[in-house]
Amino acid sequence: MKRKVIAAFLAATMVLGLAACGSSGGDSDSNSGSGGGSSSGSDGKTIRLVNGKIEIDATLKKLADMYKEKTGITVEIESMGGGVDIQGTIKGYYQAGNMPDIFVNALGPEFENWSGMLEDMSGEKWASDTDNAYVDEEEGVIGYPYTVEGIGLAYNKDIVDKAGIDPASLTDTKKLEEAFKTIDSKKDELGITAVVGYCAEPTNLYWSTGQHLFANYLDAGLDRDDTTYIDMLNDGGKFDDERLEDFAEYVGVLNEYSDPALLVSGTYDQQILNFASGKYAFVTQGSWIGATMTTDDKDAYDAAGNFEVGMIPYAFQDGIDTILTNSPSWWSVYSDGNAEEAKKFLQWMSEDEAQKVLVEEAGFISPFKSCTYVAADPFAQAMVDYIADEKTSSWHWLDMKEGYAMNYTGQVFADYASGALDKDGFVKTIKQVSEACYAN
Amino acid sequence: MAENSKNTKLLSYVLLLAGIAGLGIALVLDFTGSQASYRGALLVIGAVVFLMGLYFFPTVEHHRSIINFIFLFPLLFSFAVTVLIPLGLGIIYSFTDWNGIRLTGFVGFSNYTTMFKDPSFIWSVLLTFLFVIFNMVLINVIGFMLALLCTSKMRGVNFFRAAYFLPNLIGGIVLGYIWQFVFNNVLIQITSKWGMLNSVLSNTKTAFAAIVVVYIWQYAGYIMLIYVTGLTTVPKDVLEASQIDGANALTTLFKIKIPMIASTITICTFLTLTSAFKQFDVNMALTNGTGSVADFMGSYLTNGTQMLALNIYNTAITKNSYALGQAKAVLFFIILACVSIIQVRISNSKEVEL
Repeated sequence: MKRKVIAAFLAATMVLGLAACGSSGGDSDSNSGSGGGSSSGSDGKTIRLVNGKIEIDATLKKLADMYKEKTGITVEIESMGGGVDIQGTIKGYYQAGNMPDIFVNALGPEFENWSGMLEDMSGEKWASDTDNAYVDEEEGVIGYPYTVEGIGLAYNKDIVDKAGIDPASLTDTKKLEEAFKTIDSKKDELGITAVVGYCAEPTNLYWSTGQHLFANYLDAGLDRDDTTYIDMLNDGGKFDDERLEDFAEYVGVLNEYSDPALLVSGTYDQQILNFASGKYAFVTQGSWIGATMTTDDKDAYDAAGNFEVGMIPYAFQDGIDTILTNSPSWWSVYSDGNAEEAKKFLQWMSEDEAQKVLVEEAGFISPFKSCTYVAADPFAQAMVDYIADEKTSSWHWLDMKEGYAMNYTGQVFADYASGALDKDGFVKTIKQVSEACYAN
Repeated sequence: MAENSKNTKLLSYVLLLAGIAGLGIALVLDFTGSQASYRGALLVIGAVVFLMGLYFFPTVEHHRSIINFIFLFPLLFSFAVTVLIPLGLGIIYSFTDWNGIRLTGFVGFSNYTTMFKDPSFIWSVLLTFLFVIFNMVLINVIGFMLALLCTSKMRGVNFFRAAYFLPNLIGGIVLGYIWQFVFNNVLIQITSKWGMLNSVLSNTKTAFAAIVVVYIWQYAGYIMLIYVTGLTTVPKDVLEASQIDGANALTTLFKIKIPMIASTITICTFLTLTSAFKQFDVNMALTNGTGSVADFMGSYLTNGTQMLALNIYNTAITKNSYALGQAKAVLFFIILACVSIIQVRISNSKEVEL
């Protein structure tokens, strides 16, 4: 009798267990739907946005609240960043049928992956108000720009003034080298540790060299729609020899005058902190470091007297007079999701009310021409000036093959910096690894 | 009695049919993309009804095996869902051009040929083997010596046990970043006095040595703990007898302790071997595979310290070639399976001899 009771009990447990497994599976099934994305948007009252810039999470949530008050539509903000592989996560959402309505894309190949699934937004009002939207020849406007960042050689105005150098006069590599030499000889007098903070560490900072610095080879001095060099690169890893050599020479000057403690094994934090503390006259980072200087490194920046900063083009050839500006990534609308509401939300985001919050609280430089706000960011004025003078080039490093900088060129820049390669070796090796990368 | 068995038979058939119908309808609904929320429940009820029908199936001969099957089913089912099906899917994907989002066609063996023609992948494979050999030997030797230390009659043994084991409790990623800081910011202060201006992580050979050191630091404590357990199970009377016979410490170690814990050695070798093969997190956090090799098979490599697992990850995620990454993963699986089988065979036969 007892055994029978136990057997019955066990059998019941098993059936319950099965039912539990099954029903939870059933739940997630019914949630996901088949087309995906319809889950959150089925009632038309909620849109979900995957944001790739975790530092503006709070600002976006505030904007979502404002939008809800105004229209009754809930915007769920899902922020990722700090080393999360965003595309990988979104692919996972896609497999699970849990697609967000708006999500972030940065690289050209990423847009290509989603080709046919993204909403064409050419008809939207904001699209005619900006130069920075992501436009695909066949699919139209598929990326909404939310900010503009700039790549140039940043400098500390106090120090270059004291050294008696006019940054605007550094229009080719020779002039730059002479200016660096002058500053180098006055190092103690100026209280700096090195002329330039250039870091070619390949593990964590490959993007600074392999993407941002290399972007100047691709785009510096060109018109915004000129794609000569990126097209050559994407055609099996080809280069313009003369341009690459001039670029290599320029990088050689950076190598020579950079802080040796930073050059090969430094960190981003170190680089920005030292620049903010006035220990470098120049730094090879773009406009985004302004936010770090005024928040994380505020004490050091205050102590160094909140010096003025500026930006000059990476003039490695005669006649290069543009800095690079573009949106670092774009928001795309998923067609099978709640596309109509998502588009309305993006339009609202581009308008005055939302732009004020984005510019003044997140420190963004607005990609929209109608926006009149200027951020308090140290680099904002320099950027706005370049944009107003139309001395900007677009950037196309986002269209390079995926993993190109991280797995290939970042290491070559590091070898050049550490002295393992000389200038000719650098040129030769860059070509060789690019061919290898594009061959696969 | 006959009436009863007839009833059972009927019941069984009805239940079986109803179960199959339920399962079938639920699956059809699912694959046709229906939104009906009852289809999950239908699937579960179908499965339960089917199993009940199986239970009541009027047979004496096969009754036992049916019962066995019913009770094994949940386990087999979850094993299939979590292991077998993904493995099969992975192998299928490796023959396609899947990019993580969609699949446009089968490409045959081209992923496999690309993989073997790629010098950087060959380098990763060789490097992984080297890493495994280094680690298997060093971790076991160091772990064993630490274990001897921690089973001796020393003061504060418990403290040392805990201290050696502690690194294992820190995750590999965190550990990688901690050591990256140590190598790049602390060690460089010392080495720069001797003229080595660059961090050890900036040179491929020293960076590889650094990964080996960090991995030993992380893993030796864990292996030590297993050896400690092994050593404490060596019977006291045997040790006492050897002492009376005049065996010195070294003889006791080689003639008694090591043979007595042969099975522990097997386990530890096996553990270090497979875990070193699968090394990923320390590799990723410490160097992320950077490092240059001037000339390997005629090309300049930029992934000097990238081991197999990281190579697979980078191929799939950062280079967005999911199918090629999957092909590499299949090779990885085959290597790992072969090594494990050989290892177990060898150590099993050795155990029998002892």
